[in-house]
Amino acid sequence: MNGRQRAMTAIEHHEPDRIPIDLWAEKTTLSRLQQHFGAADREALLKRLQVDLRYVMGPSFAGQQFRQLDDGMVQDHFGVIRRPMTVEGVDRTGHAWSWTYRHVHLAPLQAATTVKEIEHHPWPTAQMWDYGAVEAECHAARETGCAVVSGGDRLDRTAQLKPATYIRGLEQFLSDLVLQPAMAQCLLEHLVTYYLEYNRRVFQAANGAIDIFFMGDDMGTQTGLWLSPRMYRKFFKDNLRRFIDLAHEFGIKVMYHTCGNVTALIPDFIECGLDVLQSLQPAAMDLEALKREYGAHLAFQGGIDIQSTMPSGTPQQVRDEVAHRARTLGPGGGYIFCTAHNLLPDVPTENMVALFEAYLEHGGYWPNPPRCSR
Amino acid sequence: MDLTSEIAQQLYDGDADGVARRVEQALEQGLDPRQVLQQGLLAGMGRVGQDFQAGELFVPELIVAARAMHAGLDRLRPHLAAADGDADATVVIGTVQGDLHDIGKRLVGIMMQGVGLRVVDLGHDVAPDRFVEAAHKEGAALVGLSALLSTTMPMMRATIEALREAGLPVRTLVGGAPVTRRWADEIGADGYAPDAVAAAALARELLR
Repeated sequence: MNGRQRAMTAIEHHEPDRIPIDLWAEKTTLSRLQQHFGAADREALLKRLQVDLRYVMGPSFAGQQFRQLDDGMVQDHFGVIRRPMTVEGVDRTGHAWSWTYRHVHLAPLQAATTVKEIEHHPWPTAQMWDYGAVEAECHAARETGCAVVSGGDRLDRTAQLKPATYIRGLEQFLSDLVLQPAMAQCLLEHLVTYYLEYNRRVFQAANGAIDIFFMGDDMGTQTGLWLSPRMYRKFFKDNLRRFIDLAHEFGIKVMYHTCGNVTALIPDFIECGLDVLQSLQPAAMDLEALKREYGAHLAFQGGIDIQSTMPSGTPQQVRDEVAHRARTLGPGGGYIFCTAHNLLPDVPTENMVALFEAYLEHGGYWPNPPRCSR
Repeated sequence: MDLTSEIAQQLYDGDADGVARRVEQALEQGLDPRQVLQQGLLAGMGRVGQDFQAGELFVPELIVAARAMHAGLDRLRPHLAAADGDADATVVIGTVQGDLHDIGKRLVGIMMQGVGLRVVDLGHDVAPDRFVEAAHKEGAALVGLSALLSTTMPMMRATIEALREAGLPVRTLVGGAPVTRRWADEIGADGYAPDAVAAAALARELLR
C-alpha cells in the first residue's frame, strides 16, 4: 500500500495497513528536523518520516505586480495593505527564534458604507494566475506515491471569514454580520466567486492528479464558536457546500481546516458533504465524542496537542498521546495522524522524534504489524 | 420601560445611534450621569457578557454592543467628569513580545470597558519595558497579558518579572488560548481567565 492508497482508504472510512501520517511544521522547525535526520531536502525528510500526503503550491501569480508602498508595505491582490513584521523571541529551551508575518495594515473596504462600494472594489480574478505548471507539479507529487493535496491559493488558502476580515477589517466585518447583512453577503459573494473560479481552473489544470482539496477558516476559539450556528448557516454554510460540490465534481476529496471548538457546526459540515475535518485541537474539543458521534460520516486529521504536549511534554507523554489517538480515533479508518497545527520552534527535537516513531509504532491496523522506522 | 432600561436594551441590540440619542435625552431630562452609566450602559453590557458566557451571544454581537456602549460613553463622558472627580481604575493590556495575535486581547479590552474600567491597549508584540513604562505612566492598577502561542508564553513570565523589578504596585492577569491556570500560577500571575467576560469580572475582583 502506498501513501496515496493509505490516505484515501482512511478517508473512505476503511482501515489501511496503518494510520496515514501528515506533517505540519513551521519553516525553521522543518529545517531543524531536516538537519536532525540528515535529509537533503524537504522531500527526503517526508520520505524518511513516512509522511503520506504531499501539499502542492499551485499556480503562479501572474497578475500585476503588487504595489510597493513606504516602509516595505505591499498592497496584495485583494487591495489589502500589508506590512512585513518580524517578531523575535526565546523559547523554553533557550533557543532564539524569529518569524516574519505579512501583517494586515489597512483593510481597503474598512470605510465602505454602501453595497455599491463593495461591488466596485477591484476584486481579483482567476485570470490573474498562470496555471501552466500545475499539472507537472501535481504529477511530480503523485510520483512520490503519496496523496496530493492542493491548498488553494499560493498567497493564502481558500477561505471565507479570514479574507473577508482582511478586506473589511475584523470588527467591521463581524459588525456587518449583525447590522448590515447585505454588505457582508455582497463581500462574501465576491470572494467565493473568485475562489470557486480559481479552484475550478486549478482542478482542470491538474488533470486528475489532485486527491484532496484543502481549504479552511478558523470558526472556533479555544472555548467555542466565533459566531452563532444560526449566523454560520445564514452566511457561510451554502458557500462551503459550493466549494465541496466543485471538488467532488472533479472526484477530489475535501479537507477543511479550522482551529478551536467547532463541535456545534459538525452536523452542518457533514450536511455540506465534507470529507475530512482538520486540526482537532484536543484541548478545545472532546475528540472521542466526535469519533463516536460523527466518525461514520466524517474523517479526521490532526488531534495531537501543540499547546502543551508537544512543546512542554516529555517524549513518553508524546508517545502516550499518539497511542491514545490511535486507539480512539483509528478504528474503522477515518483518521490521519497530524499535530493540531504547525510544530513550532519551541518543540524539542526529541519530542518530534518520539512523535514520528510513535506514529509508526501505534498506527498499525490488525492484522498488519506496525512497521519499524527505517 | 424607563429611559435607562431602554438604553440597556438598545445597547444589547447593538443600536449605537439609538443609545447615543437616548443618553442625550436622559441628560436633557436631568438624570444623574452615574445612573445612566450604571443602569443603562453597564447594565446592558452586563447582560451581553452574561449571554456571551451562556453561549447565546457570540463575538459579532459583543462587538456591536461594545460599539453602542462607546457611542453612549462618548456622550456621557463630559458629564461624568463633572459629576464625579474619581477616575475609574486603569488597566493596561497588550499581547506579549513576539506575538502578533490581537483579537482575543481586543475582546478582553472591550469587556473590561464594559465593566467600567479605563483600558489602555498597547497592541501586540509589546516588550516588557513597554508594559512597565505604560503601567507607570498611566497609573495602572492592573496589567493584562495575552499570548496565543506556546512560543511566546515565556514572555509573560519575563513581563511579570519586569513589572516586579520596577516595583510597580500592579496586579497581573494572563490569558490566551494555550494559557492555563497552572501556567499562571507557575509564573506568579495574580489571575487567569479563560475568556473575555471572565477576564473582565476577574479584573473587577482583583481591583476590589
